[in-house]
Amino acid sequence: MAHETPYVGRSMPRPQDPRLLRGQGRYVDDIEEVGAWHAAIVRSPVAHGRLTRFDATAVLAAGLARLVLGPQELARLADPLPTKWRLPGQHLTGIPVATTTARYVGQPLGVVVAASRAEAEDAAEQVLLEFDELAVVSDTVAATTPGAALLYPEHGSNIAGQIHFGSDDETLTAAIDAAPHVIDREFRVQRIAQSPMEPRGVLAEWIPGTGALTAWLSSQSPQAVRQELAVSLRLRADQVRVVATDVGGSFGGKNTLYVDETMVCAAAMVLGGRVKWIEDRRENLLAAYQGRGQRARARLALDAAGRFLAIHADIVGDLGAFASQAGSGPFQVTGLAIEGPYRFASAGATITGVYTNLVPTCAYRGYGMQEAAWIRERLIDEAARELGLDPVELRLRNLVTPAELPYTTHTMLTYDSGDYPAALRRAAELADRFRPAPDAPGGELRRGVGLACSVEVTGFAPSALLEMFQIHWAGWESGRIRVNEDGSVSVTSGVMAVGQGIETALAQIVADELRVPIDWIRVHLGDTAVSSYSDLSSQASRSVTLAGGALVQAGARMRERMRGLAAGALGVPADAVTWNGAVFGGGPGTGTLTWREVAHRGWMGWGRGDAARIQLEEVADFDPPAITYAYSVAGAAVAAETDTGRLTVEAYWSVNDSGVLVNPMLADGQLAGGIAQGLGLALLEEIRHDPETGQPLCTTLSDYLLPSPSDVPDPVIEHRCTPSTVIPGGFKGLGEGGIIPTAAAVGNALAAAVPEIAADLVATPLAPATLWPMLDKAGLADG
Amino acid sequence: MNDWDVRVTVNGVPHRRTTQARTLLSDFLRHELGLTGTHVGCEQGACGSCTVLVDGEPVRSCLMFAVQADGQQVETVEGLAGDAELSGLQDAMMREHGLQCGFCTPGVLMTLTAAERAGCSAEEAAGPQLGGHTCRCTGYAGIRAAIERHWSRRKDS
Amino acid sequence: MKPAAFEYLRPATVAGVLDALGGPRQDVAVLAGGQSLVPRMNLRVARPAAVVDINRVPGLDGIEVTAGTVRLGAMVRIARLLREPALRDRLPVLTEAAALVGHPQIRSRATVGGSLCHADPAAELPTLAVTLGARLHLRSAAGDRVVPAGEFFLAPHTTARRPGELLTGIELPVPPGLAARFVEFSRRANDLPLVGVAVALVLDDGVITSARIGAGGVGPVPVRLPGAEQVLTGRALAELVPGPGGHPPDHPLRRALAAAADEADPPEEPVFRAGLLRAAIRRAVTELATEGSTGEAR
Repeated sequence: MAHETPYVGRSMPRPQDPRLLRGQGRYVDDIEEVGAWHAAIVRSPVAHGRLTRFDATAVLAAGLARLVLGPQELARLADPLPTKWRLPGQHLTGIPVATTTARYVGQPLGVVVAASRAEAEDAAEQVLLEFDELAVVSDTVAATTPGAALLYPEHGSNIAGQIHFGSDDETLTAAIDAAPHVIDREFRVQRIAQSPMEPRGVLAEWIPGTGALTAWLSSQSPQAVRQELAVSLRLRADQVRVVATDVGGSFGGKNTLYVDETMVCAAAMVLGGRVKWIEDRRENLLAAYQGRGQRARARLALDAAGRFLAIHADIVGDLGAFASQAGSGPFQVTGLAIEGPYRFASAGATITGVYTNLVPTCAYRGYGMQEAAWIRERLIDEAARELGLDPVELRLRNLVTPAELPYTTHTMLTYDSGDYPAALRRAAELADRFRPAPDAPGGELRRGVGLACSVEVTGFAPSALLEMFQIHWAGWESGRIRVNEDGSVSVTSGVMAVGQGIETALAQIVADELRVPIDWIRVHLGDTAVSSYSDLSSQASRSVTLAGGALVQAGARMRERMRGLAAGALGVPADAVTWNGAVFGGGPGTGTLTWREVAHRGWMGWGRGDAARIQLEEVADFDPPAITYAYSVAGAAVAAETDTGRLTVEAYWSVNDSGVLVNPMLADGQLAGGIAQGLGLALLEEIRHDPETGQPLCTTLSDYLLPSPSDVPDPVIEHRCTPSTVIPGGFKGLGEGGIIPTAAAVGNALAAAVPEIAADLVATPLAPATLWPMLDKAGLADG
Repeated sequence: MNDWDVRVTVNGVPHRRTTQARTLLSDFLRHELGLTGTHVGCEQGACGSCTVLVDGEPVRSCLMFAVQADGQQVETVEGLAGDAELSGLQDAMMREHGLQCGFCTPGVLMTLTAAERAGCSAEEAAGPQLGGHTCRCTGYAGIRAAIERHWSRRKDS
Repeated sequence: MKPAAFEYLRPATVAGVLDALGGPRQDVAVLAGGQSLVPRMNLRVARPAAVVDINRVPGLDGIEVTAGTVRLGAMVRIARLLREPALRDRLPVLTEAAALVGHPQIRSRATVGGSLCHADPAAELPTLAVTLGARLHLRSAAGDRVVPAGEFFLAPHTTARRPGELLTGIELPVPPGLAARFVEFSRRANDLPLVGVAVALVLDDGVITSARIGAGGVGPVPVRLPGAEQVLTGRALAELVPGPGGHPPDHPLRRALAAAADEADPPEEPVFRAGLLRAAIRRAVTELATEGSTGEAR
């Protein structure tokens, strides 16, 4: 089979699908577990308390457990996990593995190891825990009320720190005070459980003789986990191997090492063997880091012509009990992304991180950008409503135009390329299909359409930018291509396959660069002993852009090396060599060579042009000169029942520009999946706690409501293509473009359907119990 | 009496194991029989990842004790294709990108296999039957497209 | 999580079940479909010392449809309620309610008896049983007794079933002229509803001779709403068909809705749930009235 140029741009099925469809996936719980002990985690039942007793004496004496590690033992075995992105003023620089003060329900306090999971749970129940209970603060409002109980008395406040981006306060205040129109709202985005269908899990193996720790672990960032494990367990990095095989979804929740996972690895080291722990769903909802959780007072100032004079968001982020590795990162990104695709005379955001007695927050798909879109796009629709303007027209007056690109926002984001107004116009055209007739009957069912625009940061780089902010993540990405002796091609990168199909996309890119059939290529990801380096790995919509960018470069070099080897063998200059995807030719009378023959000569060390280089391996490090920005405009058509508060999204459409699409089918899948998660956030999902005790109220998937098939219409997805100007190949990311504008589009559609309650639509989820009182107040609830 | 002798036929192969009464059918299949294609997503009966067929009916294998399946016929995802080609449904799922991470997929396949055998319409399969499954990756669009493709292919043949 | 250890008993006869239940132990759980019990055991919220599996006991899964009654054995699975043509013909509201109980993968195991004994205050079958005036048959070593559904549900997840007793079946009266509807509001399709309502009218020549309205999710147990029933009784069904602007303010249906809301005592979100209750009754009655006036009452 010859190379069918080009693969990039083609919808191709994924080579791993037959295996997954046959039930031959290799998720962490599927790894051969012979000889493994099983762990259960002892978790705090209280939201705040000093642990005065952790006593496993009886458990061990009765032989119920093989091993119990409590705070005392863990303090001897493990150092805190390092944090990566700190807020100015943040006093916590690490996350202790050994805890003597519980600060949220579910916090891991120790680990129990037994012959089976059930027995480990039996034993964990018998560990005696006693606490001096402390007063609980269960949200950021309570935490910042004078006299509130403090999570860290030594820090003197529950405010972890603060940062400001964009125009300074005086400029913003002056602009807002002088503006003829100001829209002023208090917004809220709820806590979200990322809810991968496969919860977290680790099978840890310590081989005492070699001093080697292998952790099979469900992760979207295995290299980062390896580094953190080495630091915490006082090992050299070269003693630790992390292997992530098939990963059943991640969405931001598996991008770092957790304390409970560290405990399991520590237990394996103590036992000198294998210990396995698979997070169950209750633990996942209780104790895995969560996403979102923020409040913001935000103001949009406009002049008489509807031009945006200023936007300011005062954002309060719920960090939870401590700042996770990413800590306030998502809240900071809300501030950075507040302007979206619009021109403002001034813009800025103040971000305050607050500790509460809840599970810490971290990344969730959309990472601050979704919250920014919710704030900004709702403000814009509110402005349109109050000023009597068409919301599309108001947006068009303020969108950054193609002629203005590259455009630098007040928060210092430089958008590279695109046509934002064209995308909005197209989305508005699509909206006309779903817009209710002006004379549509009233009654209990109201319909409306809404739009929302957004810009997506894809790739968190260059590394120098992160250095400037002292964010300890490497922004660059690696790619490595090896042509094996038989001509097969092994590709690796530091990014991770988490279901998005990145292996297929990378294979398509490499196949085009080498001009070889795609089935000669195999992509190896997720094993730190095999894969190349990446710190951020598959986060921040960076996998195709940065790994693709690296592999484009490595591929081009490999192609030239193969051509050079062929030239040597054929006895012609390199530029005379042709490669048609089947054979190398040197022109009339010189004969031909197959790819495999050239690869064989290469590994034999024969006829090499460059005497120093023999291995047919090309490595490229790609640190992009700047972030590349995708964008999308989303539309939703909703039906609202005024007597029940029930809200149905009847249609959804997205006009998206992610530059050059490698595999449109996978691109659509990423958008559709993001949209579904966005609808979950807009309509259903919410982690709730008892405000007095901090006890979680959503510990099952019957309480934490993920979108089901009937909640999610098939979206209409249209792509536009403005190639990135900073990424080789012209790629832009698309992992988050689906989720970023979704809630805002739904909120705006509901506001259009029921303008009587539009001003109050500031918080998600737009749940019946929240909407009904608004409808009742407006006199609409009684049929 | 906590240990039970369980005889169960899985994908046509008879098995006999001694297991605790508290062993869930899902864990029995995965860890005692080594059939790890059946996935455990919640153990709360909510997500559908662990769906298998017991005597032909789709059930949550996390809500049955293995001992309850004693003497019964169980079908799991491993039995759908055997060594041969993918089943029509599996093939449609691949072509329509009906799976991403693949974790919920085996349960979805078992439900749809039962729906197909029961003569459900494509609408019934994509509606109430699929309604018992949670997929966090695809937004269901690819799964519904796969149902549409497979059912229309069946109609044509 | 994995269940705590328990003793598993699998008697082959009702007598064997009664023996197992009648022992000195209090913490014996009956395992029917297991769709409520097993998740609670997996969470270790329920941790019975012994579990009596009644799945292999013959004689508990009968369905009998006679002129005035539908009889269901306790082990009739919900999926079967949807498949039996006789039930659809005779008591379509049962099919309608059953289609709302969980998802197909749950319904293939879940049972009528299990749903009633689990006694969730919002669940469909308890609400329907209370509304229709069902009679629950209980058996113990001491003999049989019959408990009206209205007296069976005592509190959330608490019933009049005594230790040692087994629910063997349920009898649903089907009076001639019955026209009934089940309407519920849940967050997602086939979730346990926030509020579920059954409206059962007995019609004689287009006049409501008896009205039964029952609701779940608006109190600790499913309840009848006699005030609302009273307003509707004796009225012509056609009177309840909404006009172009809905039902006017002083319309009897509105008075019935107000009475229903007064009678409800929702455990949480009381005003919202009372609103859902009104909406559900209005829809059920409106559908019955609209169909009835076009000759499609069922």
